[in-house]
Amino acid sequence: MALMNLSSPHHHSLSKTSRLMAWVLLATLPGLAVQSYFYGYGTLINLVWASGLALGLEALVLGLRRRPIMIFLTDGSALVTAFLIALALPPFSPWWLTLIAVLFSIVFAKHLYGGLGNNPFNPAMVGYAICLIAFPVSMTQWPAIEQTLNFGQQWQWFWMESIDGGIDAWTGATALDLMRHTNGLTLNEVALDNPQLGLSLSVSMWVNLAYLAGGIGLLAINAFTWHAPIAMLASLGFCAGLFHMGEPDLYPSASQHLLTGATMFSAFFIVTDPVSGATSRKGKVVFGIGVGILVFIIRTFGSYPDAFAFAILLMNLSAPLIDTYTRPKAYGHKSSKSSSQGDL
Amino acid sequence: MRKIWDFHGGVHPDENKTQSNGLAINVMPTPKQLALPLNQHIGKAAKAIVDIGDYVFKGQLIASAQGVLSANIHAPSSGYIKALAERILPHQSALSGPCIIIDTDGKDEWIELSPVANPDSLTKSDLLNIIQAAGIVGLGGAGFPGSIKLQPKHAINTLVINAAECEPYITADDRLMREYADEIIVGIQLVQQLLDQPKCLIGIEENKPEAIAALATAARQNSNIEVCVIPTKYPSGGEKQLIEILTGNQVPQGGIPANIGIVCQNVGTIKAIFDAVMLGQPLIKRITTVTGKAAANAGNYEVLIGTEVADLLAFAKVDLSQTSRLVLGGPMMGFTIQDTNTPLVKSSNCILAAADLELAPVADHHACIRCGQCEVACPAELLPQQLFWFAKSEEFEKAQDHNLSDCIECGACAWVCPSQIPLVQYYRFAKGRIKALNTEAQQAEVARERFETREQRLSDEKSAKEEKRKTRALAAAAAQEAKRAANPNAEDPIAAALARVNKLKQAQHTTNSPILPEDEYKALKTAAAISRTQLKKTSKALADALAKNHEQASDLQQTLTALTAKAAAAEAQLSAYETKLGLDPEQEKTLQAALAKANGVLRKLEQRLATAADPEQVKEDIIAAKSIQETATHTLAQHQNNPRAKAIPAEES
Repeated sequence: MALMNLSSPHHHSLSKTSRLMAWVLLATLPGLAVQSYFYGYGTLINLVWASGLALGLEALVLGLRRRPIMIFLTDGSALVTAFLIALALPPFSPWWLTLIAVLFSIVFAKHLYGGLGNNPFNPAMVGYAICLIAFPVSMTQWPAIEQTLNFGQQWQWFWMESIDGGIDAWTGATALDLMRHTNGLTLNEVALDNPQLGLSLSVSMWVNLAYLAGGIGLLAINAFTWHAPIAMLASLGFCAGLFHMGEPDLYPSASQHLLTGATMFSAFFIVTDPVSGATSRKGKVVFGIGVGILVFIIRTFGSYPDAFAFAILLMNLSAPLIDTYTRPKAYGHKSSKSSSQGDL
Repeated sequence: MRKIWDFHGGVHPDENKTQSNGLAINVMPTPKQLALPLNQHIGKAAKAIVDIGDYVFKGQLIASAQGVLSANIHAPSSGYIKALAERILPHQSALSGPCIIIDTDGKDEWIELSPVANPDSLTKSDLLNIIQAAGIVGLGGAGFPGSIKLQPKHAINTLVINAAECEPYITADDRLMREYADEIIVGIQLVQQLLDQPKCLIGIEENKPEAIAALATAARQNSNIEVCVIPTKYPSGGEKQLIEILTGNQVPQGGIPANIGIVCQNVGTIKAIFDAVMLGQPLIKRITTVTGKAAANAGNYEVLIGTEVADLLAFAKVDLSQTSRLVLGGPMMGFTIQDTNTPLVKSSNCILAAADLELAPVADHHACIRCGQCEVACPAELLPQQLFWFAKSEEFEKAQDHNLSDCIECGACAWVCPSQIPLVQYYRFAKGRIKALNTEAQQAEVARERFETREQRLSDEKSAKEEKRKTRALAAAAAQEAKRAANPNAEDPIAAALARVNKLKQAQHTTNSPILPEDEYKALKTAAAISRTQLKKTSKALADALAKNHEQASDLQQTLTALTAKAAAAEAQLSAYETKLGLDPEQEKTLQAALAKANGVLRKLEQRLATAADPEQVKEDIIAAKSIQETATHTLAQHQNNPRAKAIPAEES
């Protein structure tokens, strides 16, 4: 047998990016299940549709870019993006909305920047943010919780955007919507006026807890380090707690902030994106804190009820700067600054 | 119990040590031929001191160290020097280098040895001399000449013995410690004696319980030697990592352990020091692990330095047909060899004959997603993912700025990388390029200096010449000035010349005596020539002054303007006179040239007349040429005379 000439190391842990991606997909399942239980089949239909689109577009662009299609297609990153988009979009998203989100994620946010590993922005969040700005009405159609569509109705809505009684009969304001647009009322008054707020909050809590469970699973298998998600949750909780302490009538509590909207989903599935985030562990902490603060500011003072897409894209922009200032101290160095001596 | 610290990062690859650590060290019989590379160490190659055909005894010096950073080489067995030839060296590059080839005679006959009976009586320099003479280098891998570390410039308070053997598969040190624990302890005491009795810490991974027990037993009498059991984690056997584990201190960047009062020696080196001092034997053998699925008799072998890989593989019953990768060293930092005739050297601690799929298969690597697992694993606390980007995009300055040079190439990052990127290879590439670029930059710097020195020299020479010329010009000007001062009435030459003409004219008017037109013409010509020369000189001086930004420039500028006017006037007078006379200087020149040519032809013909074979013919030619010359002379004279006659009719009348 011919002896190979290879560079060390000759051994490998045999860990694989594709396996990592598969774990991420698996970890979304509890959240997917709970979300579908409360909101119906919309997310599932979107998930299948988005996955097919993502794989197709990924293969198409890889082909156009003359890259080995199978090697990159099997890394699973396109599928992860598709899952994240489908989970983030409202269950009432029609086919074209998902198509636009996936198109901008895969083609524009990822491949036009050089493909996996080179994208400065989180692809799923780019697709989401574009839809949020371009189609604000479609992006806020969350189903009312008391009455979910059956599969046939959902299927019809997905393709035709027609539904018995009109869509308004089937949608309801989310907890964050209600708490954001209080029309000068205190939170207690809002709760009294809107009996569905309590239900909405508890549904939101279950969804968030499901994503938290998935996230903890990923932490347990070292899919990522704790730094970014925990820092984000801590800073969001801290800001919310601080304001809630001052004016409990106006500002929702920390636990309400942590367990509504996309908090846990973003903390463990978006903020942890290594490609578009900060590099070092110290940097990840800064990144997470930044996301938490921005989310709180936009949720509380901005015009959007939830804010993860914007907060994360803004922090993606800051990631290179964070990297510059958070380099770890190398072995034997006095400070984190380089003291390289010119030559080797 | 001593506190055991931790170092950043590290990985836990499968240990794979049991394949080879179960059996006692097997002494391999002397092979028929040994090939000893002259450079088995870091530093300068040794110089062969034997000739082809010489008989050498086992242990005889055959190549001597060149300078401090070099090491002696001894004959590992008795026999004849067969050749001094190039052989492929045990290195990733598979380059060949000079080797001494010995045909062994099988007698294995030692040269006379002089073991030390009572080492306590030895002075430090005696000890150092013995170690140096024995050709001892670091047996852990780098092959750093051993005596250098043992004469540190700093006070040493801790001697760290590296017995971690953290690389998977390798068990050479493990077996050595189990079987030679007493010798190792004595060796440590010798080194302690050399370093003024520092505390000795033996760092050994917990996965070697037998070796730990053996060392603890051997060292139980000595309170100054402590066996420190450390957790199994790769690369705890890296010198810097082991020091941090045992002392909690980091070796400062760019420094050596001695900077923080530490000397680190590999346990194998200690055994070699024991052999050198207590047995008088130079370093001619070592323990090498042969392992891997292709090795039927995996185990540890005592081999002579210079044994060819093929001989050892045959002795260990390695089935080469099953091997796809032959690694010299461990799977994490070892390098592959393709030629089994490569000799084993002092630092060859393991041959890993891996069967197909035993080691990581060669995989297409995926994109880096900056997952950061490499950063978590890096024992040098670097950002491997960033270094990868910089190496890939050849941004070497950034790579250096991210401390690429602190990378110890342990391979932990590549081992964990889920995208299976050969990170270490990228770092080696970047380091190599940076080294090459630095060399190029240095060479360019030398070239630039040489060029600048040459330019400086040339310009110095030029300005010296200029200076001389200036001095001369100044002297001349001063002389002129002096002359003028001596004769204050002297006017400037142009005016004087013109004045002379006017005077003549006036004289003609008053006395009515004719002025010779030749005189007047000559005077005008002189005036014009003088003015031309002065103009030229002044403009040159002005150009100089302007170039040097001299303050006299404006003065000179005025002078030049005045001179230009004067010169123009002089030229105008001259040409007016010429017109008046009907002189045509251009035609005159043509005529003069024709005459000169005729003269030349005539001269040549006269010369030829002396040697010509046909003098009559030449004579005829001469006559013809003479007539041409006469015509030319005549025409010229006519031309010169004619206008004069026209201009001065008074003369004729």
